[in-house]
Amino acid sequence: MKRNWIHPEEPQNAKRYWRSVSELERRESFLKDLGREFPAGDTLTDEERENGRRDFLKIMGASVGLMGLASCRRPLTTILPYTQHVEWMVPGKALMYATTMPCGGGATPLVVTTHEGRPTHVTGNPLHPLGGGIDSFAQASVLDLYDPERSQKPLGMGKDLSWAKANELLAAVSAEAKKSAGAGLGIVIGATSSPTYLRLLGEVKAAFPQAQLFKYEAAGAEGSAAASKAVLGAGVKPFVKLGSAMRILALDCDFLSLDPVAGEPISAFTKHRAKEAKTADMNRLYVLENRYTLTGGMADHRKAIPASLIPAAAALIALELGDASAKALADTAPAALKEWIAPAVRDLVDNKGKSVVLAGSRLGAEVHALVASINNALGAYGSTIELLQEAPAPEFGGFAELQAAVSGGQIKTLVSLTPASLYYDAPDAQGFAKLVSDKKVKLVHVGMLKNITAVQSALHIPAAHYLESWGDARAADGTYSIVQPMIAPLYDGASTIEVILALLGRKKLGPAESAAPEAGAPPAEDAAYTAVRDTFAATAGGLDETKWNFTLRDGFLKGSTSAKAAATPNVAVVAEFIAKAKPAAAPTDEALEVVLAPDASVFDGRYINNAWLQEAPDPVTKLTWENAAWIGSVTFRRLGLKDGQHVKISVGGAEIEIPAIEAPGHVTNSITLPLGYGQKGVGEVGSDRGVNAYALRKQPGIFVLGGAKIEVLPAMAELAITQEQNTMVGRAVYREGTLETFNKDTHFAQKTGMDAHIPENISFYKGQVGVKSDENPDGFDYETKHQWGMVIDLSKCIGCTACVIACQSENNIPVVGKDQVRKGRIMQWIRMDRYFAVAKWGKNEVAQQSTWAEDNPTPEQLENAEMVTQPLACQQCEAAPCETVCPVNATVHTDDGLNAMAYNRCIGTRYCANNCPYTARRFNWFDYNKRNPLIDTTVAGIVTVNNLYAGPLGAKKEDESLRLQRNPNVTVRMRGVIEKCTYCVQRLESAKILQKQVQRDSKNFRVPTDTVKTACQQSCSADAIVFGDLADNKSAVVKAKASPRDYQVLKYIGTRPRTSYLARLRNPNKEMPGAKDIAVWSNNQY
Amino acid sequence: MGNFFPRWTNWLPLKVAIAVVFIALGVSVGVAYYFTPKYTRVGYEPTQPVPFSHKIHAGQLGLDCRYCHSFGEASSHSNVPTNQTCFNCHGPGKGNIKSASPKLELVVKAHETGESIPWVKVHKAPDYVYFNHSAHLNRGISCVSCHGKINEMEVVRHDQPQSMGWCLDCHRNPEKNLRPLEHVTNLNFQPADLKRADFYKGLLDKKIPAGEIATVIGGASAKADDLDQILKLAETTYGKEVTQAEVGTQLKKHWQIQPPENCTACHR
Repeated sequence: MKRNWIHPEEPQNAKRYWRSVSELERRESFLKDLGREFPAGDTLTDEERENGRRDFLKIMGASVGLMGLASCRRPLTTILPYTQHVEWMVPGKALMYATTMPCGGGATPLVVTTHEGRPTHVTGNPLHPLGGGIDSFAQASVLDLYDPERSQKPLGMGKDLSWAKANELLAAVSAEAKKSAGAGLGIVIGATSSPTYLRLLGEVKAAFPQAQLFKYEAAGAEGSAAASKAVLGAGVKPFVKLGSAMRILALDCDFLSLDPVAGEPISAFTKHRAKEAKTADMNRLYVLENRYTLTGGMADHRKAIPASLIPAAAALIALELGDASAKALADTAPAALKEWIAPAVRDLVDNKGKSVVLAGSRLGAEVHALVASINNALGAYGSTIELLQEAPAPEFGGFAELQAAVSGGQIKTLVSLTPASLYYDAPDAQGFAKLVSDKKVKLVHVGMLKNITAVQSALHIPAAHYLESWGDARAADGTYSIVQPMIAPLYDGASTIEVILALLGRKKLGPAESAAPEAGAPPAEDAAYTAVRDTFAATAGGLDETKWNFTLRDGFLKGSTSAKAAATPNVAVVAEFIAKAKPAAAPTDEALEVVLAPDASVFDGRYINNAWLQEAPDPVTKLTWENAAWIGSVTFRRLGLKDGQHVKISVGGAEIEIPAIEAPGHVTNSITLPLGYGQKGVGEVGSDRGVNAYALRKQPGIFVLGGAKIEVLPAMAELAITQEQNTMVGRAVYREGTLETFNKDTHFAQKTGMDAHIPENISFYKGQVGVKSDENPDGFDYETKHQWGMVIDLSKCIGCTACVIACQSENNIPVVGKDQVRKGRIMQWIRMDRYFAVAKWGKNEVAQQSTWAEDNPTPEQLENAEMVTQPLACQQCEAAPCETVCPVNATVHTDDGLNAMAYNRCIGTRYCANNCPYTARRFNWFDYNKRNPLIDTTVAGIVTVNNLYAGPLGAKKEDESLRLQRNPNVTVRMRGVIEKCTYCVQRLESAKILQKQVQRDSKNFRVPTDTVKTACQQSCSADAIVFGDLADNKSAVVKAKASPRDYQVLKYIGTRPRTSYLARLRNPNKEMPGAKDIAVWSNNQY
Repeated sequence: MGNFFPRWTNWLPLKVAIAVVFIALGVSVGVAYYFTPKYTRVGYEPTQPVPFSHKIHAGQLGLDCRYCHSFGEASSHSNVPTNQTCFNCHGPGKGNIKSASPKLELVVKAHETGESIPWVKVHKAPDYVYFNHSAHLNRGISCVSCHGKINEMEVVRHDQPQSMGWCLDCHRNPEKNLRPLEHVTNLNFQPADLKRADFYKGLLDKKIPAGEIATVIGGASAKADDLDQILKLAETTYGKEVTQAEVGTQLKKHWQIQPPENCTACHR
């Protein structure tokens, strides 16, 4: 029976959470799709409509005929066993290996699941000292491995070369360098912490003394390193102990997401945010930034300020702490900022030794120097920041030095090992490319993508994925972590270490010579493997095989953290840095500022061809598949823009044309441009998506550009933004309060709105709900069955979407492409809902609590909107509305409390999706797994349509390599089937069976407490997701459900979800301006 | 009075009759195919590339199933052995048994080239079925229950329907097939072969109270304090020989065998 939800009247005087400005202002465009299963009222496209009923019948008739013929016989299938047994391999069982993903200057410790030799899923390494959850980039990296459009062959100016030729060219480079003692050889590397890589670069320097080394990262800057070197000394690396910092102030530093600081994992920060009993002991986060970042969303106090004022803000803080040299710079700060900073600094000082100030990595050296001085004054060094001594490494020049060396003619051969793409993302990239070709510099490029640099280089060598190569890295605390291959290189790529070895003449790149080894002879040792073993031996003090094997098993060498540095900050030099800083003026209507920021999907552009990341909605804007200019409401409305309207942005002679979107919480007269898009030729996933914002950058290390002009263009872009999709009838389902609210009444979340007075759910219908007892014989059996449940702690969730990708990777969820996303057909099972809320409403600035103001919030109020995130998947309702409407029993309840989906039974009526109040079900409109949704097909040489609409005439997906990523334990769904989260039922069933294997003839059937984890839970770096057996009283989920903050979404409709949420707490500082408007708890909210 | 029925209805009875004939034909063809063992492929007996005889190896020589299918108890799949397993006996320098036999030609070739022998799949579960061998073998379901008496087959034959209904029959009444773990790979096992005293002693050794054993035999009112009383009770209930019902009900109770009937047990 289709249930009509009787939602309570939306209260007129409650706090509201909204996903988009259209929702907030109840615009027609939003209201017309509200409550619809799929947004566009008519989900058919023109193409679909043209395929009329007659065509449909014809096609069906033909396919039935063909089907009949095809299904006469079962196809003959064969079983191909191994001829030689493979060590550790048990067919049908996954093998886990520990490894490390090198990222930036650090390392992400991983455990990789492999099935019969194919890596299928990665997750954090819980054994590693800095292990735990991982970010979405690491989570999605396994897809990059199988990318069918990875660079697969060496190229010479865009033409295929043989490996022999490539080796020859490389040998020539090496010979030339040897002859000239390295003069004319330049090597550019990316950020790295790999001891082997650095050691080999040192050897290069020793072999070719005049070779020049450079370091370049597209979204990296040298300010932090320069300041750190001057203030702390060379080789001293700060390690931030987030777990000890009770007061944190972040200056444009997205340390929870895209701009991680070297330090303890995020869970160390979030553990101080979840409270279950009255307390004053909660950390507090202050954030100053121009746009919303996830860190800003987690903040207790956040102020949107232009990025150009960040140095002034830093100076102001330093001045408050008594650094007189900062006075001149601090005086340029506006008064409102002073009012905000003064109480914040007092709070930091009151918590001396437990407070820390963090600065974004792309800020200038003066900010970092000031922050070092601030942290020194706060007593942070030694308490919240530990200083570690790094191993000595060769000196590297920056991009400016590289440019100078090339234009000075000192470089004849440039070897680019950086993950950046020099001809695309370098400052004034075209100018640089021209310079390189003018000076007849031979560019040797190593990379995974066939991007512009690869195609235009004299020699391009396909890079190996980190899951294919030997290597190592040091984690933030210096722990020696190993990178070990899971699979032989799919396309014979070479790792950066191997290229260096080739330059040193110790390795031949490409496929191994086919000379069959003598039977019984040990295989020839791989040069990269030997190099890593040598480094290991030097690190561990001798090549101890046992230790080596333990290192391979654990993924890291125990007890190999860096030694503490005996450095004392030399604050005297800070004044010099400040003197060099020029006071930046706040942007104006005429001269706007442009902030270039890494993107949550493609970072600096290196993940451009990763379809999972491209389709994962941006955590803040919910935009998929491309980038857009984020413009604050004040500026956006002043310019009279509409969402998706093109604007032309020009700075210092360069200009780009880009669609604009309104970004609540964004500061006035500032534009944020996500980097990394607008690349060409990288593959069907990444080519021509979005706009290249690097084009505006002319100088290295500068990411905030002043004096920008904006011009409104008439063109409109069709953006795929998911924020208005899958709404829950416009109901706010987010609950939060301040620590004060919580201390007053710990159960505030359970007393919100109707939750306070819904009567006990007593029904005459004794269905399969609740605990089985004499009165309720059909209830769930807690004695002899598991009862699965989940709790999501909103106090901890930072909204990073790693869980979304983890789920996609674990559950074989297809990518549907931009057009389908626009139609609301995104398949991700977890939806990361992001809500904004404003405290003050309308022109009269009334508190939202007191009245439903007739007028809308002003743009200025939108600029101060709060942002919260809430992951939402199937809630596994005990009284599931979807089950009652399924005509074929394809979705039914299991006796361990799961809302199960039998895909092979589903006939695709979509009644269940229609009846789901949480809109958590997804429908396979097409065979997304078989038909590539990203390409167009020409049907019969006449019309060109999206491949999905070409039906059987379209191109089939022949990317064998992508199929290798699939999890063999989960059905790959076909067209016409509904799918949704099942709490990773394949893992639950495996755990139960494992218990049976272990127990055999005993009756202890219960899976050991908290040993089975869902993919989202494993991926969560904030430890926000707790999953387990509700029937096991020792389990973490039982404890979490007992929290006073526990509440159920849409509880009043009586679905009894098994997933519940813990209300979020914020800890505002009463002395801060506007503190009483932060995280106001509204009793009337529904 | 006008014509109630338009002209085309004149032919309607004939059309209906023709349609009925076709439908009847379709139904009978459908029943003849889908409702018979042919559909479930019982009796399917493909020729294998290597004429391996289970009758000789498992029957005559008495090799345990797990010698070759070594991971059945540890994994979802019960693996087909690698060439190395064959060569443990047939390989040069090992047993060297019949190593020159032309029947082994393909095995030798596979060893040299490293290319697998393409064994033809006999038992094929659809892709959406996640059958797990280890869950069954470790809980007292024998190979023979699903695969038949492989030890008597020269060429492996599809013995049981292995349809969903067939699976559920056993999941609903597991006692028909449960047996002590040590007999799981004993394809000739008969419950009557068990010594009743040994069987119950085994249960008592597992610290299962005699009273509980008795209630399984004789219902709630039955009581027993020691092995002798149990044996007496069993003999009066089941007769002289040990029966499958006797073994099955005991094991089901004491191992807490609850075969899942959830969709998710097999479909994910």
